[in-house]
Amino acid sequence: MGETSKPYGIIAEFETAAAIMHAAEKVRDSGFRKWDVFTPFPVHGMDRAMGLKNSKVGWFSFIGGATGYTSGMLMIWYLNAVDYAIPIGGKPMFSPHGAFPPSYELTILLGAFGAIFGMLFLNRLPKLHHPLLKHERFKLATHDRFFVVIETGDPKFSETETRALLESAGSKHIELVED
Amino acid sequence: MSSHSNPSTAATPLDLSKWRSLPTRLMLVGGILSLIGLLVPSYREQFSFSWLVSFMFFLSLCLGGWFMVLVHHLFDASWSVPIRRVTENLACQVRWMAVLFVPIALFAPRMYPWMELSANHTPDHALHAKGALLNIPTFYLASIFCFAVWWYYTTKLRFWSLEQDRTGSAECTNRMRMLAYFGVFAFAITLTLGVILWMKSLQHQWFSTMYGVYYFAGSVWLTIATVYVITLVLKRQGPLREVVQETQFYFLGSLLFAFTVFYAYIHFSQYFIIWNANIPEETFWYVLREKGSWWQIGLLIVFGHFFLPFLTLLRIDVKLSWLMIPLGVWAWLMHYVDLQFNIMPILHPDGFVLHWLDIGSFAFMAGFMARNFMKDFAAYPAYPQKDPRFAESMGVYVAPASKTPAAKVAGGAR
Repeated sequence: MGETSKPYGIIAEFETAAAIMHAAEKVRDSGFRKWDVFTPFPVHGMDRAMGLKNSKVGWFSFIGGATGYTSGMLMIWYLNAVDYAIPIGGKPMFSPHGAFPPSYELTILLGAFGAIFGMLFLNRLPKLHHPLLKHERFKLATHDRFFVVIETGDPKFSETETRALLESAGSKHIELVED
Repeated sequence: MSSHSNPSTAATPLDLSKWRSLPTRLMLVGGILSLIGLLVPSYREQFSFSWLVSFMFFLSLCLGGWFMVLVHHLFDASWSVPIRRVTENLACQVRWMAVLFVPIALFAPRMYPWMELSANHTPDHALHAKGALLNIPTFYLASIFCFAVWWYYTTKLRFWSLEQDRTGSAECTNRMRMLAYFGVFAFAITLTLGVILWMKSLQHQWFSTMYGVYYFAGSVWLTIATVYVITLVLKRQGPLREVVQETQFYFLGSLLFAFTVFYAYIHFSQYFIIWNANIPEETFWYVLREKGSWWQIGLLIVFGHFFLPFLTLLRIDVKLSWLMIPLGVWAWLMHYVDLQFNIMPILHPDGFVLHWLDIGSFAFMAGFMARNFMKDFAAYPAYPQKDPRFAESMGVYVAPASKTPAAKVAGGAR
């Protein structure tokens, strides 16, 4: 089955963080879209080297937080002041001060939900399988090697030219990854 | 390298020469106005309160600067190395605050009602219970103690920093670290003591365990915004052009964001606990601050001190944008309003009044402190010259000498 289908992409191995940074800059400048970098630890400045824009997760978090705050306030107002009025300590039936702590906590809760589920959604996770997981050497990405993977689905992908590009970036180990 | 539009990336220095005399002029005009307030008996009460507000404002900057130096050493931070001379010099201005304290020391018996009660041996119940701290000798001794501690730590921290400029010795870093270790405790104790004696004891019957932290949060907030703007000017004008980079501005912006939230958290907690407990011994403080236009000032603090900066700083790119400059100016305004809210309702219970003595004393101190700061800053190197973490702060990796291959060293020796 693997022999006839189109490969998933091309994988290039690098030995140092500096090498992978330069490779990422080269791939970025060549205008690729469907590609990624895998490193054993976070490499500072990689987002810029890859030309990544600021993540959109913040918006999910913001909307989650705003929803949490509003629903907290509305809920407390409805429950304590409208549906079943509870007079406590001579205080008003509804006061934004009194309702603030629970609303604030709901802000944090739904903000965190927004962040985590937004992140999962944007990353298309959870995913049960990924072609790279079959690749033997890719395991080293959690050890001491750095990888660039360019997908065949990228409009600029060409087996020979992309391979040449990665070679010129200094990779000594380039392979095709089966789908 | 950057896709952000940082105003600091502009190449040509601004012509600030026409602003050079501004501090002197402020000092002169403010000094004359303050002198009138000091000498004319009918203005003396207004003068002493206006002076206290301005005094607490500039004390915020000095203590905030000291805090930033302490935190730098405690966390062994590398990013804040290039801005450390700014914060060290800011902190050292606290010695001048001791001079500016003299009018408060002189007029204290008229400003603090408890002093009269104490002098007449007619303490009310609250004063009786708090007499251990709130008595006249302790007030003056504790004030002297605070200034002595501040003078000692701020000058010692700058001394070892300048010593390192000369020797490059790691010993200096260790000394500063020990000073920071003990200093952060000294900071917490003396700041709380100072703010309780000078601000909170204006209404000595009141209780709030948050008050020290409250002043601290506002002070550091103001200082971060100020350091951002000062650093930006120094980068554009030259002294810090090569050493201060985007990282420093981004981190300062993030810290400002954090302290915006921290301040709101502290002030809300203080208010909420008092509101919830609903005990007259505590609520009277806020009841006074809901009278007349103080109500609107309170709302201005809620929306202007918290919501506006919070929503502005929420976006990641704002921390590197031109918006940080108006935000710095806004922080000065908001902290000043906050201090007015704390101090002035005692003198003007009917509502907020901006008196010409407020402006006079503020202008005088602004000019005086700016002059002293610029003099200090010009006297020493603009950034730590031989700090071991300097290269790291610039994003450059320098291999430690011990890791240089032995063969290479041997080859060099031959």
